[in-house]
Amino acid sequence: MLSRREFLASTALIPLAASAARPLRVAIVTTIYRYLSHGQHIGDRFLVGYPMDGVWHKPNVQVVSLYVDQKPEGDLSAARAREFGFQMYPNITEALCCGGKTLACDAVLVVAEHGDYPSNDKGQKLYPRFEFFEQVREVFERSGRAVPVYSDKHLSYSFEKASKMVATSRRLGFPLMAGSSLPVTWRLPSVEIPLGAKIEDAVMVGMGGSDAMDFHALEGLQCMVERRAGGETGVRSVQLLDGDEAWKAIASNKLLRAALSRSDTPLGLTVLDGRTQDLTAPGVLQSLVKHPGVYQIEYRDGLQATMMMLDGAVKDFTFAARLSDSRMVSTQFLLTPEPNVTYSACLVAKIEEMFMTGHAPYPVDRTLLTSGILESCLESRKQGNRRLQTPHLKVEYQLLKS
Amino acid sequence: MRPKLAAVTTVYRKYSHTQHICDRFLEGYGWRGEYHYPEMDLVGLYVDQVPENDLSRERAARHKSMTIYPTIAEALTLGTGKLAVDGVILVGEHGDYPKNEKGQTKYPRYEFFKQITEVFAASGRSVPVFNDKHLSWNWSYAQEMVATSRKMGFGLMAGSSLPVTWRIPSIEMPMSAVVREALCIGYGGVDSYDFHGFETIQCMVERRKGGEKGVKWMKAYKGEEVWKAHAEGIWPKDLFEAALCRSHTLTPARPGFNDIFPTPAQMQELVKEPLAFQYEHEDGTRCTMLLMNGLVKDFNFAARLDNPSKVMSTQMYLPMPDGRTTLASFFSPLVFHMETLFKTGRSPYPIERTLLTTGLTAAGVESLYQSQARIGTPHLSVSYQTPAESFFERS
Repeated sequence: MLSRREFLASTALIPLAASAARPLRVAIVTTIYRYLSHGQHIGDRFLVGYPMDGVWHKPNVQVVSLYVDQKPEGDLSAARAREFGFQMYPNITEALCCGGKTLACDAVLVVAEHGDYPSNDKGQKLYPRFEFFEQVREVFERSGRAVPVYSDKHLSYSFEKASKMVATSRRLGFPLMAGSSLPVTWRLPSVEIPLGAKIEDAVMVGMGGSDAMDFHALEGLQCMVERRAGGETGVRSVQLLDGDEAWKAIASNKLLRAALSRSDTPLGLTVLDGRTQDLTAPGVLQSLVKHPGVYQIEYRDGLQATMMMLDGAVKDFTFAARLSDSRMVSTQFLLTPEPNVTYSACLVAKIEEMFMTGHAPYPVDRTLLTSGILESCLESRKQGNRRLQTPHLKVEYQLLKS
Repeated sequence: MRPKLAAVTTVYRKYSHTQHICDRFLEGYGWRGEYHYPEMDLVGLYVDQVPENDLSRERAARHKSMTIYPTIAEALTLGTGKLAVDGVILVGEHGDYPKNEKGQTKYPRYEFFKQITEVFAASGRSVPVFNDKHLSWNWSYAQEMVATSRKMGFGLMAGSSLPVTWRIPSIEMPMSAVVREALCIGYGGVDSYDFHGFETIQCMVERRKGGEKGVKWMKAYKGEEVWKAHAEGIWPKDLFEAALCRSHTLTPARPGFNDIFPTPAQMQELVKEPLAFQYEHEDGTRCTMLLMNGLVKDFNFAARLDNPSKVMSTQMYLPMPDGRTTLASFFSPLVFHMETLFKTGRSPYPIERTLLTTGLTAAGVESLYQSQARIGTPHLSVSYQTPAESFFERS
C-alpha cells in the first residue's frame, strides 16, 4: 500500500475548478436508481439541474458513468443512461475508469441508500457503503490519482469501517464528504448557534424510529452542538432508553417544549379536529407514543445532549438548546415534501461545491461521529439499554469561521 | 385585567379559518420556543352556520369561559345589552354562501361588521376589530368599513397570513428599494387564494421607494391568453423562473423525475386553467400574480430591484394541513399580531394594505368578468407609508 507521501508524490491533485470550461466528469455509484430513491433524486440533480437561490442551476458536470448494484422493478438507470448519454458498467472499477484501465473521472458520487440488503442484530441495514468505498479506493491507488468523493448518509453502519474510510481519504489526500440533508436544509426560523457559544443543554426531537431516520436526527443535533465553545471533542458515553426509563427522561427534559413549539405536525387531537395542542401537557405524549426512544449522548467535554424519537406524536424534526447566557435557540429542520424533496437540492449544492473546489464545505468528521454515535446507541439497546462507554468516539474537529 | 374578546364567524369546522384562529385563543399555540397562551379570553362566540361537522359546540363545552350567543349583538354584549368585550374577531371565510354573477362568494363580512359597529354606536364605545382575509368582496363595502373604523376611532386590522408567515429563505425587501417589477406564482381559485397572492406581493412592494400610492389599472389573463402573454414577455421570464425555483411543490413534468424544471409546453400540459393578473401602480411599478393550479401548491415571490440591479425571490411558507403538516402554523403569526391589536388598540401594520388588496381582488374578478379587459382603477388610489418593521416571522 502506498503511503500518503508516496501517493501524493505520484500524483498532482489538481484543483478542479481551474478548468472551469470543461464539464466535470462525475461517476455515480449507487445501490438502486428508482423513483425517489436517494440515488435517483441526488443523481438526477447532476443530470437535469436543481433549484438554488432562485434559479434553476445546471451544474457544469457531465455524468460519465454509472454503477448500480440492484435493479428492482421501476429501475430507471438504463433510461437515464440512454437519455443523458453515459455508460453503465457492471462493476465500480469499470465505472470509475469508464471502461479503461485507470481512473477516468473527476469526482465520485456514492449513494448507497435504499435497496434490498440484510440487517444485523442491532437493526442496522447493512448497506455496502464501506465495500463500495474500498473499490473506489482501490482504483485511486492503482491509478495513482484520487478525486473528491461524496458518500451519502452515514459513512457506514460500522464505526470501524467509517474510520477507515476517513483515514483513507486523509492518506490519499482527497476530499470526502458524507451525511444527511438535515444540516443544510432550511430552518424555521433561520437560526444558527453562534460559533463558540457555551451550550448548556440540547435536545433534538424526531420521528422514524429506525437506523435510517435516527441518523438524520443525529446529524441535525450534531451540526448544532459542534459549534460550541472548544469545538467538538467527541463522545464519552451513550445510552438508548426505552419504556419507563425513556418516559422519565422525557418528563424531566426542560427543552422539549421549546423544540415542540417549532413542530408543524402534532398528531392525535390535531389530526382529529385541527386543534392546536401542547404536546407536553400531562399525559398527552403517553397517549400518542407507543415506543419512545431516548438517546442520551454524553460528550467528552461534559455536554449532555438528548435525542428523542417520538413516533406517533410528531412527523418532523425540531431542535432546542439553552446557551450559557440563558438564551434559548429553537428551530425546525425543514424536510420539504415529496416528490420535490428540495432539501436534497441543498445537499447537492454542497456536494457540487466540493466537487468543484476540492474542499468539503464541512468536515466529514461530523458524519464519522454521528455514524459512531448511532452504532453505539443501537448497541446500547441490544445490551438491554445499558450505558456504554465510547472511548473510540474521541472524534475531534473544529469548524472554520466562514 | 385580561381583555375579553368576542368572535363573530361564519362556520367553525375542522380547517375553517375560524377553527385555526379561535382555537389559538382557546387552546394556545406553539410559539417561538414556548407554548403560548394569549393573555386574553375569548368569551363570546357567534357562529352563522352550524353544519354537521361543526366544532363550536364541542369547543364551548370544553372551554366554559366561552359562551355561544344566537346573535352578533349578544356575542358582543355577552347578553348585557351593552358592549362587554375589549376586542372583536371577525372571520367571514368558509361556510355556505351564495355567489354573484361574477363568481364572488358573498361572505357576509360587511354585514357582520355593520352589526358590530351598531353595537359600538349603541354603547358609545368601540373596541379593536380584526377582519380575516379581504375586507369584503365588494369594494365600496370595504371602503366603508375602513372609513367607519376611522370615524369611530377603533383599530382595524385585516388580511392574510402570507405577509406575516415565515419566508424561505428568510429575507426582507429592503426599505425604500427601487422596485420596478414584481411577480407571484401561487395556486387556488378566484376570489379566494388570489387574495393571498396579492397580499404576498403587496407586503413586499409597499416598502419600495416613495411608498404606496395606489394602482392605476388591472388586467386578467385566462387560459390560452396566459401562455401567449408569457411567451411574449408580458411579465418578466426571469422573475417567473425565480419564483418557480422557490417552490417546494413543483409538479414533475415527466414521470420518473421528482424535481425537474418544466418547458413551456409541459407547463401547458400541467396547468389546464392558468390565470394571471397584471396591474400597474401609480409610480409605474408593475406586478403580476399568477395562479398556476397543477404546477405548484405554494406561494412564491420574485422582484427586480434597481440600484444595484438584482432579482430577489422567496417563498411565503404556507404549510397546508392536509399532508406533510397537520397544523396550519402560518396562522400563529397572524394570531400573535391580533393579540398586539387587542392589547394596544392599534394594528401593527396598515389596514390600507388590505384595503388595496381587497380592491385588487375585486378588480381582478371584474377584468375576468369583462372578458379580460384592461380596466382602469382610479378608485384604487390608496396611499400609505408602511412601517420599517414588516412583522414577517423570523424568530
